[in-house]
Amino acid sequence: MNNFFLQTLTGLQISALYMLIALGLTLVFGTLGVVNFAHGALFMLGAYFAVEIASQFGFEVAIVAVPILLFIVGVALERGLIRHFYERSHTDQILVTFGLAIVIGEVLKTIYGANNIPFAKPTWGTGILRLDEYLPFLDGAVYYPKWRLILVVVSFSTVAALFILLQFTKFGLIVRAGMRDSQMIAFLGVNITRRFTIVFGIGSIIAAIAGIFGGPITQVEPELGMKLLIPSFLVVVVGGMGSLPGAVLASLIFGMAISFTAEYAPIQQIIIYLIAVVILLVRPRGLMGKKGLME
Amino acid sequence: MISLVSILKRFPLTIFALVVLSLPFWFPYIGGYVGLATKMTIWALFALGFDLLLGFTGYLSFGHAIFFGMSAYTTGLMFKHFSAEIIPAMIIAVIVGTLASVAVGYLTMKRSGIYFSILTLAFGEMLHSSALSTFGWFTGGENGLTLPDLRPVLFGIRMDGLTMYFVTAFFLIVGYYIAMRISKSPFGLILRAIKSNSQRLEYTGIDVQKYKLGAFVLSAVYASVAGSLMVVYEPYVGTEYLHWSTSGELVIMSVMGGLGTLIGPIIGAWFMLYFENVLSVPLGEEWLLVLGLIFMAVVIFLPGGFVDGVKKLYNKLTKNSADVEGK
Repeated sequence: MNNFFLQTLTGLQISALYMLIALGLTLVFGTLGVVNFAHGALFMLGAYFAVEIASQFGFEVAIVAVPILLFIVGVALERGLIRHFYERSHTDQILVTFGLAIVIGEVLKTIYGANNIPFAKPTWGTGILRLDEYLPFLDGAVYYPKWRLILVVVSFSTVAALFILLQFTKFGLIVRAGMRDSQMIAFLGVNITRRFTIVFGIGSIIAAIAGIFGGPITQVEPELGMKLLIPSFLVVVVGGMGSLPGAVLASLIFGMAISFTAEYAPIQQIIIYLIAVVILLVRPRGLMGKKGLME
Repeated sequence: MISLVSILKRFPLTIFALVVLSLPFWFPYIGGYVGLATKMTIWALFALGFDLLLGFTGYLSFGHAIFFGMSAYTTGLMFKHFSAEIIPAMIIAVIVGTLASVAVGYLTMKRSGIYFSILTLAFGEMLHSSALSTFGWFTGGENGLTLPDLRPVLFGIRMDGLTMYFVTAFFLIVGYYIAMRISKSPFGLILRAIKSNSQRLEYTGIDVQKYKLGAFVLSAVYASVAGSLMVVYEPYVGTEYLHWSTSGELVIMSVMGGLGTLIGPIIGAWFMLYFENVLSVPLGEEWLLVLGLIFMAVVIFLPGGFVDGVKKLYNKLTKNSADVEGK
């Protein structure tokens, strides 16, 4: 029982980070139709900003400041670069954002060096929690690192917030309508391009949240962006490009798969790729993908 | 000027062969050396094959390191357990790479767009992780496959220096000739048609799947030969040969040079390795940053790559001079 519970919890924690990165990726794809290979780099940028700001002004300041900073970066990026690629092929989008990811990674490497830099957790997030004090069905002492639980809570809260934003606000309504038919929305007199810019900014904010809360777990180094981009992309594709519930579901599957194969290292190494290959071969558009997208 | 272009157009293969064969003799004057010329030629072969897939059919594979790496490992294992003679090693390596491409291609080529790219990436990462862990007992795991004191030979002749270069150059020239023939053949035409509209092509009754798989396997054969040559040149198999970054580099060089032109990816490969090994010295640590910026600039402003850039420049020049003459 204890073991099963802990493995589920670890699975959730692994899912949490994938989910955060995949969410921004799939949001941008679903609305703007852009395949953003630089999203991992944005996440990494968030982590570096967080390290820098947390060490100067404290972690609490970083939680507020880094998403704002990344929102600005995201908006600038959409205005300056991504916008010009809406009409180009997906291959060109992949290539230019791939190039951007390399450039961001190299800039960070030039400034901070190739090794990982320490990212201290705030005092309220350090230490371990005795779970059996809260959960009566566990017997004996069950410990879990506090920070990992915080990551899970933050991740699911972000998912909930995004869901509410898209489902229950006027902004969300317009964006969802824009996803269906952006031309029609523009004819109705709605400034959809401005909304799209904001959506890209929101995607960057989610990347920032992933950077702030994921950074202390993943180590902060210039290869980080690509390291997490690949599984996150698998999450997005397996979930179905552009589908938010799909991304949540796929990241849960991946997290659990990694957690529950922990005892069989050779399988754990390849399990997510194996799942991705099988699902994509059986369901070409992923678990919840819509027809005609990206084919 | 104009006569030079007409010569280039009339005898592309001869000119190409002359450039490739003379490379090690003039290369030192611009900071190169024979070893680098060999490596450049191997990568050029890799990129040339890739062009038959990406440039012709438009399928962006992020998994070609699979065939490069598998062939490299097979060559290394043949050297280690069989003999240092390169012919059997290379034949077996190319067979292994080709068979792998039939299997991977059969599964991935059913999908297109981003799904194809991600599937190939997934297969590549799967193999890379397995080579490091599960198959580590015969691949050497994290250290790569080391072959101490091994000197590959061809009929007893040591493969090093200029000998090695000319063997590599032979493969590149033959590869270029074959690619040119394919480009002009009906097969090549169908591949290009797949890129522009595969659905319409299917309606004409052509089994598109078969041709796509053909292009995939063909590009993998080039990749296998290149991977095998890499180990002949340098008897050590690095784990990065299987890593997705090898596929990524291949994509970058092909795009920079100019897709669908055959010569473009070759130039791209030469440029990238020259940049990495020679121009990186004055640039220092930031060379990869500069390369990334160049790559982005090419994708944004010059989607046709260097070859397209030269073409545009040439057209502009000749047009201007014609205008001047007219006045």
